[in-house]
Amino acid sequence: MRPLEPTTSKQRVAYGLAFFVLFIALWSWATFGGHVSKTFLANPLTMVQEGYELLAKQGFLFDIGMTIWRVIGGFALAAVIAVPIGVLMGAYKPVEAFLEPFVSFARYLPASAFIPLLILWAGIGELQKLLVIFIGAVFQIILMVAVTVGATRRDLVEAAYTLGARDSGIIRRVLLPSAAPEIAEILRLVLGWAWTYVIVAELIGSSSGIGHMITDSQALLNTGQIIFGIIVIGLIGLISDFLFKAFNAWLFPWKLA
Amino acid sequence: MTVLRIDQVSRTFPARAGNAPTRALEPTTLDVGDNDFVTILGPSGCGKSTLLRIIAGLDRPTSGRVTLDGREVTGPGADRGMVFQSYTLFPWLTVRENIAFGLRERGVSQAERHDIADAFIRRVGLSGFENHWPKQLSGGMQQRTAIARALANDPKILLLDEPFGALDNQTRALMQEMLLGIWERDQKTVLFVTHDIEEAIFLGSRVIVMSARPGRIKAEIAVDLPHPRSYKIKTTPEFVALKERLVEEIRTEALKVAEQA
Repeated sequence: MRPLEPTTSKQRVAYGLAFFVLFIALWSWATFGGHVSKTFLANPLTMVQEGYELLAKQGFLFDIGMTIWRVIGGFALAAVIAVPIGVLMGAYKPVEAFLEPFVSFARYLPASAFIPLLILWAGIGELQKLLVIFIGAVFQIILMVAVTVGATRRDLVEAAYTLGARDSGIIRRVLLPSAAPEIAEILRLVLGWAWTYVIVAELIGSSSGIGHMITDSQALLNTGQIIFGIIVIGLIGLISDFLFKAFNAWLFPWKLA
Repeated sequence: MTVLRIDQVSRTFPARAGNAPTRALEPTTLDVGDNDFVTILGPSGCGKSTLLRIIAGLDRPTSGRVTLDGREVTGPGADRGMVFQSYTLFPWLTVRENIAFGLRERGVSQAERHDIADAFIRRVGLSGFENHWPKQLSGGMQQRTAIARALANDPKILLLDEPFGALDNQTRALMQEMLLGIWERDQKTVLFVTHDIEEAIFLGSRVIVMSARPGRIKAEIAVDLPHPRSYKIKTTPEFVALKERLVEEIRTEALKVAEQA
């Protein structure tokens, strides 16, 4: 090993898998070897059995579907509102001066702390779940998009002006395409955070979803189910991340060229 | 007939953090005629880029005014095409789309845009690279695309701000010949800023020498070398004599800058 020396792609896959093997080996050693009580941590086999039980008999697929829909719904709602506001803030300094202090403040409000208030306002239905994710995501997206758009290369903007572009052309044909790959990356990042919010939202006042299953399992001390639920969240996150990356690469070929 | 008139244009940058205001450009007057090729030569910090940016409308003069065909310049516009020293192709557009940027902004139809862009691609020798991304091009090819992009708009005047400054010597020489060839064939009013003496003589019909800090016009030297010029002209006695004269002019300015620093 030398600093920054690249590895082959085969080696990369092997190293990546090796960690999972090591992880499961340690887990097996701790549980099968009797070093950790069954009450606190289920062993890998029990986890798989409980997972099968969940999927086959307890309708866990419906819970997974509910959670995915909430994440995507709340996230899409936030993105649709936040991206245009962020672009306007980045493009027009007075708009930025008007909104930036409030958004910076709102960004630090923890979405989970709004749950009791949101239950009061929106009940315990789907709207409340969507709103938790919306609050958690919207301010983050606005601020990051504004920074990205504001950081557009000035010389590109000037070049467009000397080519006869007007203000609307500058926004549509320079600021937006220039910031688009970064905006896509921001959305990918925030989607990851949305997964955290949805589980928190489902832990409180919910009758479906992965988070709800996890609270139910806690009451029954079924750690196998809890771990299975967590792993499912991780897997879905991994898949959505991969899809997002592939989509971005397809959308912005000039970035990779 | 005068195309571009620079009338007592000066620029002072406002004071910043305890420093006194910077006088970048003394009141400067210059006329550029139709199809003239004027090179502005000066050491760095002589305000030559500031002057060009004011003409382009990207900067405002502190005093004085710039008129183009009698109309005062108040902001950037398609009638003044500009090529920058930095690579300013839009990375998300292909070579052809970059060249057609201004045409599209003006609402020219797709088919016509395509034809005009391809004609300019041939003229700057980039056939076969129509669909390449800027990232895939060398520095010289990027600047050729930038020149084609400015020309495709058919501006009244072409402003070039040290466009070959970042290129290696061999590429730079080729680019100079290409630009001169286009000018000799198509006739265009060109204002070319550089700190390279040889480049200023080879390209220009007139060389404007600027002094350093604050910038002002120090001398104006006519270049009476015949057209078409080839690279071989750079070794003729007339060329060398002009070069010697300009070396002296620029050297005193460079020394002044060095002493101030």
